[in-house]
Amino acid sequence: MDLFLDVTQNLLVGFAATCKLFILTLIFSLPLGLVVSFGSMSRFFPLRWLVRTFVWIIRGTPLMLQLFVVFYGPGIVWGTTIFADREVAAVVAFVINYSCYFSEIYRSGIEGVPKGQNEAGQVLGMTKPQIFYHITLLQVIKRIVPPMTNEIMTLVKDTSLARIIAVVDIIFVAQRYITSSALLWPLFYSGVFYLLFCGLLTIIFRQFERKLRFFSV
Amino acid sequence: MSVLDVRNIRKCFGDTTVLDDISFTLEKGETLSIIGASGSGKTTLLRCLNFLETPDSGKIIVNGETLFDADDKNTQRESEKRKKRLHFGLVFQSFNLFPQHNVLKNVTLACELLAKERVDYKQNKRAIQKEIENNARELLDSVGLSEKLGFYPHQLSGGQQQRVAIARALALRPDILCFDEPTSALDPELTGEVLKVIKGLAEKDTTMIIVTHEMQFAREVSDIVMFMDGGVVVEQGHPEFVFAAPSEERTKQFLERYFEG
Repeated sequence: MDLFLDVTQNLLVGFAATCKLFILTLIFSLPLGLVVSFGSMSRFFPLRWLVRTFVWIIRGTPLMLQLFVVFYGPGIVWGTTIFADREVAAVVAFVINYSCYFSEIYRSGIEGVPKGQNEAGQVLGMTKPQIFYHITLLQVIKRIVPPMTNEIMTLVKDTSLARIIAVVDIIFVAQRYITSSALLWPLFYSGVFYLLFCGLLTIIFRQFERKLRFFSV
Repeated sequence: MSVLDVRNIRKCFGDTTVLDDISFTLEKGETLSIIGASGSGKTTLLRCLNFLETPDSGKIIVNGETLFDADDKNTQRESEKRKKRLHFGLVFQSFNLFPQHNVLKNVTLACELLAKERVDYKQNKRAIQKEIENNARELLDSVGLSEKLGFYPHQLSGGQQQRVAIARALALRPDILCFDEPTSALDPELTGEVLKVIKGLAEKDTTMIIVTHEMQFAREVSDIVMFMDGGVVVEQGHPEFVFAAPSEERTKQFLERYFEG
């Protein structure tokens, strides 16, 4: 019983790091993704090309590689590390990766709003910002909630990749029990933490979807 | 002075000339119906009037004020486009109601946003909002939807949605109200209720331009009928002349085909 409490306590410490990475990634990549999506929809060809190429590279290579590049890359190229802190490097890599994924979701949401909505706003004498804020925005949100939920759930579990640059997350802690005490069950036990966390997110997002059910697009 | 004076409007999309030298005038209180086959340029003409498309040449003059002149860059400032649009109202074929706003809000939203630009808005906020809302309620009552104020667009039939769209366009008191095939997206049994509302507006001397495929309706309701084909105005005149005794061969063919089918 003592062992169980001990394991739980240590896993919780690791899970705190997991949550921290999750929350920081969301805080930065949700708005940054919007900026990226505007770039990928830009009428200025060079910018659009640049952004789309970048998104292609990020979505086309493993997140694990990107973690290595962000953490070790600067050291190899310039002989000095930018991100001395492993956790900071992990957040940066995750933010870059998830901004790109989110940007594509935003783009599909924005482009999915019928042109007529924009035109109706225009002929009623609304300004572009007014049209975005009063007409487009909520329709975009309604469209993107389901794919966003999916992506955010994936992020919860993707955070475990950060252990390859030795960020001490919950899996990292659980794995230590294998090497130090030959205990396998803490690893499976760690799955329960993810499961509960994702369950909580599912409930929250379902509520959110329900709140937007008063209209249909 | 005419409410609307359109002179020599020309519009090309790439190599295709969609509007070729369109000119007409419209007097206050008149109803103009534009008929013609699909692709004849009717919708593009309405879109030019509402500044959703920019003509390549020509002039648009409303109440003596030149709103657009292809030769005068001063009339084409993006920043002024918004105000100029307010001379016109546009009812779309596909309604384009705002799905996240209820019926009342669909009608009041644009008025509220415009009112915020008034200098006295802050002082008279309550009174202004009350006035906007009362106006919207009256308009919705006049299109027979006073029972549906709190409904959302997806809860309404197509005919009801289009009537809300008409009230929404009227709320800004445009000089000229344009209809782009207002009943084309409706089931036949819903067409009548929308046409009835438009007819009511014509009787109240609303200045209107109606692009339509409802020939009988165009004949009854309009003061002038304009037949377009291939981007040009083939014939325009009193509906009885255009429908009963068209002088152009192309008009005859179009109407024959139409009434046979």
